[in-house]
Amino acid sequence: MRVATDIGGTFTDLVYLDENGRIGTAKSDTTPPHFEQGVMDVIRKSGISPEAITAFIHGTTVIINALTERKGVKTGLITTKGFRDVLEIARGNRPDLFNVRYQKPTPFVPRHLRCEVSERLNYKGEVLRELAVDEVKAAVEQLRNEGVEAIAVSFLHAYANPAHEMLAVQVIKEVWPEVAVTASHEVTKEWREYERTSTAVLNAYVKPIASSYIDRLDKHLREIGVTGNKYIMQSNSGTTTFAQAKETPINMVESGPVAGIFGAAMLGKILGEDNIIAFDIGGTTAKCSLIDGGEVKVTTDYKIERDDRNAGYPIKVPVVDIVEIGNGGGSIAWIDDAGSLKVGPQSAGAMPGPVAYGRGGENPTTTDANLVTGRLSPKNFQHTVNMDAVKRAIEEKVARHFGISVEEAALGIIRIANSNMLNALKLISVRKGYDPREFSLVAFGGGGPMHALALARELGVKKVIIPIAASVFSAWGMLMTDLRHDYIQTYIRRVNGLNVEELNGEWSRLEEGAVRQYAQEGVAEDSVLFVRYADMRYVGQEHAVKVPVPNGVMDEAAVQEMVARFHDLHEKHYTFKLEGAPTEIVNLHVTAFGVVQKPEIARLEQAGDNAEQALKEVRPVFFEEHGWIDTKVYAREVLNAGSVIEGPAIVEEPSSSTVMYPGQRLVVDEYGNLIIDTGV
Amino acid sequence: MTETKVKRDQFTLEIVKDSLIAIGDEMFHTLARTSMSPIIYEVLDFASGLTDAKGQLLTQGNGVTGFIGMLTFMVKQTLEKFGKEGELKPGDILIINDPYGGGGSHLSDVGLVMPIFHEGELVAFSANKAHWTEVGGKDPGSWTTDSTEIFQEGLQFPCVKLFDEGKLNQALVDIIAANVRFPDLSLGDMWAQVAALRTGEKRFRELCDKYGKDVVMDSIDHLLRHGEQLALKEIAKLPKGTFEAQDFIDDDGLGNGPFHVQVKVTITDDEFICDFRGSHPQVLGPVNCSYTALVSAVRTIFLAVTNPSQDVNDGVFRPLKVIADDRSIFSAERPAAVSTYWETMLYGADLVWKALAPVVPHRLNAGHLLSVCGVVLSGIHPDTNEPFLIVEPSVGGWGAGDGLDGASGQFCIGDGETYNVPVEVAETRYGIMVDEYSLRTDGAGAGEFRGGCGVVRAYRAMSDGQTVTATFGRHKFLPWGFNGGHDGSRNEFVIVKANGEVAGPFGKCARFPLNKGDVVRLMTATGGGYGNPLNRPAEKVAWDAKNGYISVEQARDIYGIVLNPHTFEVEGVTSQRQTAKSEERA
Repeated sequence: MRVATDIGGTFTDLVYLDENGRIGTAKSDTTPPHFEQGVMDVIRKSGISPEAITAFIHGTTVIINALTERKGVKTGLITTKGFRDVLEIARGNRPDLFNVRYQKPTPFVPRHLRCEVSERLNYKGEVLRELAVDEVKAAVEQLRNEGVEAIAVSFLHAYANPAHEMLAVQVIKEVWPEVAVTASHEVTKEWREYERTSTAVLNAYVKPIASSYIDRLDKHLREIGVTGNKYIMQSNSGTTTFAQAKETPINMVESGPVAGIFGAAMLGKILGEDNIIAFDIGGTTAKCSLIDGGEVKVTTDYKIERDDRNAGYPIKVPVVDIVEIGNGGGSIAWIDDAGSLKVGPQSAGAMPGPVAYGRGGENPTTTDANLVTGRLSPKNFQHTVNMDAVKRAIEEKVARHFGISVEEAALGIIRIANSNMLNALKLISVRKGYDPREFSLVAFGGGGPMHALALARELGVKKVIIPIAASVFSAWGMLMTDLRHDYIQTYIRRVNGLNVEELNGEWSRLEEGAVRQYAQEGVAEDSVLFVRYADMRYVGQEHAVKVPVPNGVMDEAAVQEMVARFHDLHEKHYTFKLEGAPTEIVNLHVTAFGVVQKPEIARLEQAGDNAEQALKEVRPVFFEEHGWIDTKVYAREVLNAGSVIEGPAIVEEPSSSTVMYPGQRLVVDEYGNLIIDTGV
Repeated sequence: MTETKVKRDQFTLEIVKDSLIAIGDEMFHTLARTSMSPIIYEVLDFASGLTDAKGQLLTQGNGVTGFIGMLTFMVKQTLEKFGKEGELKPGDILIINDPYGGGGSHLSDVGLVMPIFHEGELVAFSANKAHWTEVGGKDPGSWTTDSTEIFQEGLQFPCVKLFDEGKLNQALVDIIAANVRFPDLSLGDMWAQVAALRTGEKRFRELCDKYGKDVVMDSIDHLLRHGEQLALKEIAKLPKGTFEAQDFIDDDGLGNGPFHVQVKVTITDDEFICDFRGSHPQVLGPVNCSYTALVSAVRTIFLAVTNPSQDVNDGVFRPLKVIADDRSIFSAERPAAVSTYWETMLYGADLVWKALAPVVPHRLNAGHLLSVCGVVLSGIHPDTNEPFLIVEPSVGGWGAGDGLDGASGQFCIGDGETYNVPVEVAETRYGIMVDEYSLRTDGAGAGEFRGGCGVVRAYRAMSDGQTVTATFGRHKFLPWGFNGGHDGSRNEFVIVKANGEVAGPFGKCARFPLNKGDVVRLMTATGGGYGNPLNRPAEKVAWDAKNGYISVEQARDIYGIVLNPHTFEVEGVTSQRQTAKSEERA
């Protein structure tokens, strides 16, 4: 049995897949600060036998929480002489352009804990000055006296030659074996010293936290008798072993959200859909990502605490490319200084939450607007909803300002929220050169099903899929994962005059490294699958395009094929190509999957269309072009595979509801997913 | 039902308005990701956006503040020249860099303008403006510190058609290629600009197709009115009256100067008037700025004072008036040299800033490095034997404010979402090594809140025959502190030759020769302080000293805190600090 557990802000979710392909779910409360307790609770609640677990996959917010709440350990940095301030100067940018009181992000390591040592490489990785080992020792003593618990090591051009960093780590471990150490080349082999140093520092900062968390979790799992393989979900949409996760915990930073996106890709694979827009609406944010040809996109441009007005901190590890905006069920509707309606990014969160929660929230939210328009039912909440309070909030905070009715104001809130989300969906599709009409939308999270059909119409998406287990979909996605490691090596070479033999040597070196790492993790070589990319650009450009590259020994023809693909992708993303212009490689990127055998998901019994039995009620719902329509409401859990529903309609489930517009048609597929033809 | 439709339109207008802003963003990112020049993709020294058919700015994506509103002037020049019916046609793209007219800054900033038609009618313009690394002229990198007339500063594009109904003017492209030092870079950037314009055009037309032209036009009115209302609301909150400031610009790079500049800011219930009359006339060297550049600078600080976080359009600037004498250093006319115009332009912002800082302390802090601290370094890469060219701004210290220490190592007010070039990238691309990239901890800018540190960046030439040109303003007149805070330090650079000889310090220098092993050491200013340093809490002073931002001696002499030189623990306060305390109590 494969079991995935996902720790979220409020709930810890569990989804399992047994040997017969059957899926089961459970939910329990998240239990900070002892998160492992929630995992034990949800296993118990699910009723599964710990001994039956052959693979345990775990996603957690422990790392991102430690970073954003500044709960990591006191960390020191050892770096190249002349460059200890790189971490503080950062990139010098000021995203909040017109705010002269802009404050740069404070470095995670203060200046007196940033030590310089003599050593120097050039950009080719040649040693210009040997590492002064005695200076490393002195720095370690200084940091030990200051009471640090972790040390990051970052030297210039270590991506080209890690020898000095490796030696420094060896020296540190000799003189102070207990301290947590991270060298920059262990977490990224890309150039750009600030980004690499930042990544190393943040990894060091959370390493002791991750170690103790994973050890505690491991211990608890052993105690209840889990003897199967244990994996941690990483931000690159694959998993790794507990042991590796303790070394590079920074790879777990987005483990939960990424699993949902990956789940959408895998669901697409099961359903024969290669082109997917994955769309996840939660309480405070909406997240989306585009899957082209079945492949989840990964980038190393990830930053925490980055937004329109803040520079944030770069983490240069592979993370699934997700666009996130401050628009969720709890987003607050408000009137700006010039009288326009805005929704978000402020959120009522879980506490006090929307007015409907009755916990003292006074600001109307998207959830409240969905209630007033009949899209959500007060009966579908776990507690009694005071609809008068909900209507009053919208009346006082929005409707009165415009002199319109409460339901018109509520619809206005939904339309503005949809407009915000639509811009995010366009950002990942139309604006990157993809035609949404060629994609299916997989919508999940509490709010996904509610807004997906309106957005799909706007985008021109023909098919919307509301997956089974939509509310625990991240955990569902984790069940489908393989082990995955990404090896990205900065390798700047012009294509014209490229030494193909050397290039083949580099590919082999990267792939042999992957095989070695997997061997350590107990994965046989024949289970390792490689996918290659080259990050390429026109000579002179900075930003690169990720180009798929064929496996095996490359010859001149393969190089030409790679260049041709680059030109095409450049044109696709940016509307033009420069066919005569010289091109260059910036990074080589090998993704190595450690493929895991998984049972196939079983199909549901074909019991025939029973939509009529699933009908709960008929209630008025307020639609954009039509006003109030008496709309049939169905209970999702009652629906058989093969059931068909015509819009307008609403399909309710405990934590969500799917809102269908007139002219749309829904079919429940053989797995229990809702497949909706949007009628565009 | 009709009633409902009318009311709902308010939300439609809002949605179309948001779509217009999203188009501006998309145009911006297209250009950043495809350009060939670091000055565009790292410094983001460009702007792109949409205007309405009259040239009123609707939305602008900015990497730097310095271009705010300049797109409008380009479109207005286009309309002046091609305003008659039928002179502009679908598929046309115009190229402009005339600094005194629509260009507004210097020749290096090349603007493109594309009219957008819907059903045969001119409905809007798509426009952008980007700093090309090269536009020819007497010096590599085109801008320099010792030009005396525009003709030395590169190719001039006086609003001419680069595309005529979609057909490329190849003759013009050939002329550009023949007149610039790195044609691949310049033309690569030009193609990136064209792509961004076409994206804007396509999206705007899609918007008209979807919502109908009338709804889009109503949304544009809504957008501009919305901007104006936000600005007026903020002006209403400001103190009313007239506020003055004056300062000096170092020199013009040719030994003339300093030049007196001044402003009188008058704030009424619905106007914000900046009067620069009485400032120095235009000068011989290239520090002159045009009126357009002055307006952009004033707009930047106007936004900082009113509402830094709003979306920018021409409506926002309706209450703003900018007045200058003809042919002043702030409103230079042809053929004045303008290639380092920002040295003066930013004084336009800084004067208003300085005049208002005492009365708007919650929005404004003390003076900062102010200068772009621009550097051009050119030579031959020793490994590839190809020519290389660095054109880049420098980071420096910002001023402290009420409740806030100044930022260290940050680009000046004229830049913005500007990124420094990583050392590893610079050493790969260019024939140099970076010896040091560190904070300049000179202890200047002392105050209850401390000015942010400047930065030291040292380039070592790795081949013979390189040259460096740099312009570091605020070399003679320091970043100002206020409310008892000390002034910051100056911007300067020195050249340390391989044999140990030192040339400089300089504020401006053109084409200084560097041979292998010579080092140019660039040092930027520390920002001004805020409040009396004797009021800075002792634990903060100790922390500053422990981290090396100030010395133990400075802690004692300036802040009045006696520290243990090894542990940095507070051991006492000086009599000066005690006196200050007791005076405060009295």
